[in-house]
Amino acid sequence: MFGQTLAIVRNTFREAVRDRVLYNLILFALLLIASAIFIGELSAGQEAKIVIDLGLSAMLLFGAFIAIFVGVGLVHKEIERRTLYAILSKPIGRGQFLFGKYLGLNLTLLVNLVVMGLGVVLALLYTTRSLDPLVWRIWPAILLIYFELLIITAIALVFSSFSSPALSALLSFFIFVIGHFSSDLRALSDSVTSTPARWLFRVLYYLLPNFSNFSAITATAHGANPDARTVAGAMVYGGLYVAALLSVAALVFRRRNFK
Amino acid sequence: MKTDIALTFVLIVCLGGAIGLSRGLDQHRINSSDSFAEEPLYLNGRSAKRMTLAFNGLAADWYWMRSLQYVGRKIVTYEDEHNGKFDLADLPALDLRLLPSLLDLTTTLDPQFIPAYEYAAVILPEINPNQAIALLEKGIAANQSSWRLYQHLGYIYWQRQDYRRAGEVYEAGAKMSGAPTWMPAMAARMKSEGGSRAAAREMYLHLRESSSDLSVQQMVDHQLSRLDSLDKLDAIRQTLALFKQRNGRCITSWREVATELRGFQFDAAGAPLDSSDAPYRLINNGCGADFDPDSKVAR
Repeated sequence: MFGQTLAIVRNTFREAVRDRVLYNLILFALLLIASAIFIGELSAGQEAKIVIDLGLSAMLLFGAFIAIFVGVGLVHKEIERRTLYAILSKPIGRGQFLFGKYLGLNLTLLVNLVVMGLGVVLALLYTTRSLDPLVWRIWPAILLIYFELLIITAIALVFSSFSSPALSALLSFFIFVIGHFSSDLRALSDSVTSTPARWLFRVLYYLLPNFSNFSAITATAHGANPDARTVAGAMVYGGLYVAALLSVAALVFRRRNFK
Repeated sequence: MKTDIALTFVLIVCLGGAIGLSRGLDQHRINSSDSFAEEPLYLNGRSAKRMTLAFNGLAADWYWMRSLQYVGRKIVTYEDEHNGKFDLADLPALDLRLLPSLLDLTTTLDPQFIPAYEYAAVILPEINPNQAIALLEKGIAANQSSWRLYQHLGYIYWQRQDYRRAGEVYEAGAKMSGAPTWMPAMAARMKSEGGSRAAAREMYLHLRESSSDLSVQQMVDHQLSRLDSLDKLDAIRQTLALFKQRNGRCITSWREVATELRGFQFDAAGAPLDSSDAPYRLINNGCGADFDPDSKVAR
């Protein structure tokens, strides 16, 4: 069973790295990171902060694009090319197939983030002209970005398990945006007087992903690392949320009729 | 072949036409950015923070650079209109009405952006001291362990000659972890002799030591030069008074006191120079001295 999943992971990874869209996005992100060096010149001594802010923001934004646009196509392509029938005719469960696809894309995202992270490190080395501690301090923030992307990929997979790629991409992007507004949902639930409305906002707050758990870019740009407890808490939260989303995706996918 | 020639001809004519038209349009274009430059910001800090999702740090950088360019552009325009002369005392003339909102937005998006508060502490008191104090107090609330912000706030109160309040702020800053040992001494000095030149010099020297911000360093260098020049002016005035006492008249030329002023540098006419290399000028028929109107340290 493990070998079968590994084969799907490997093939998904291969398929993703052959995608031209992926390279375009990475190239664009690296160009943006490189441009931070020149933009930093306008910042009156804040070059390193600009490089980190721009670099990590580019990683999050383009990572989210990759997670959404590649993620929504994972299942759809297999159905469109009819390769799914060949795969599912073998002793592979539908849930196992989805899980393998998900892990394959996660591996792709990990490689992308490491490449982009090295881009930020190079930009920092060029800007500071020394082995600044920031070179090491950006990695916990990158780890948190990776966990945020894991959730976004899982969301894209859930939507793509029952919807068209375009609609899935749109809905996933909406969740990405709403996930960053979660603190407002909490504030809203505290401020409304109507009990049903309060409960609705409270339920939405806990139901939707809370991406503020993964936001460490601004603090990192000031040289402040998120503490180990925050990082561990965010990782566990991410893991639990992903597990829940994959369960939903598998439940929907198992009932889907491909005829 | 004919088609190729026709297509090349169309390419050259159209491209040439587009370039010519573009140049013509550029000449007649009204610079719309100038008319919008002073327009109030549409967003308040809280809304902007909400809208920038996880990219609030990046948005803060953008507003920070916009603040710098806003001030820089105004200085360049002012210098163009005043033969390249600009001094920090000219700041009110720049009409930097948008700067408080820009810095407020920057620091709301990124409350830990210390250089933005430091910049505000130098520039804003010349425009609106109350806004400068409000911004620094906001910074202290968001960065309670940053003694530097207390130092800057104390500096603003000191500029306003509110030495009691300046002393209190220094005292509060001295309690922060990592605060330098001179902070409590400065607090005491503010309360006992806040208006003295020695206290001013000490304040500027500590500001110079603790800030890496270029605008702060330039301001401090200017103020220290000014203090040096004021000391020199005092020495000159003392020399002139002594000369009058001894000779029963005032000097007719600087050469008469050249020996007494031997520690000074002089211009070709023999006049002693201030720290900006501008000559001091004689007033009251040689009985007194003052800064030259063109001196850069006079204000």
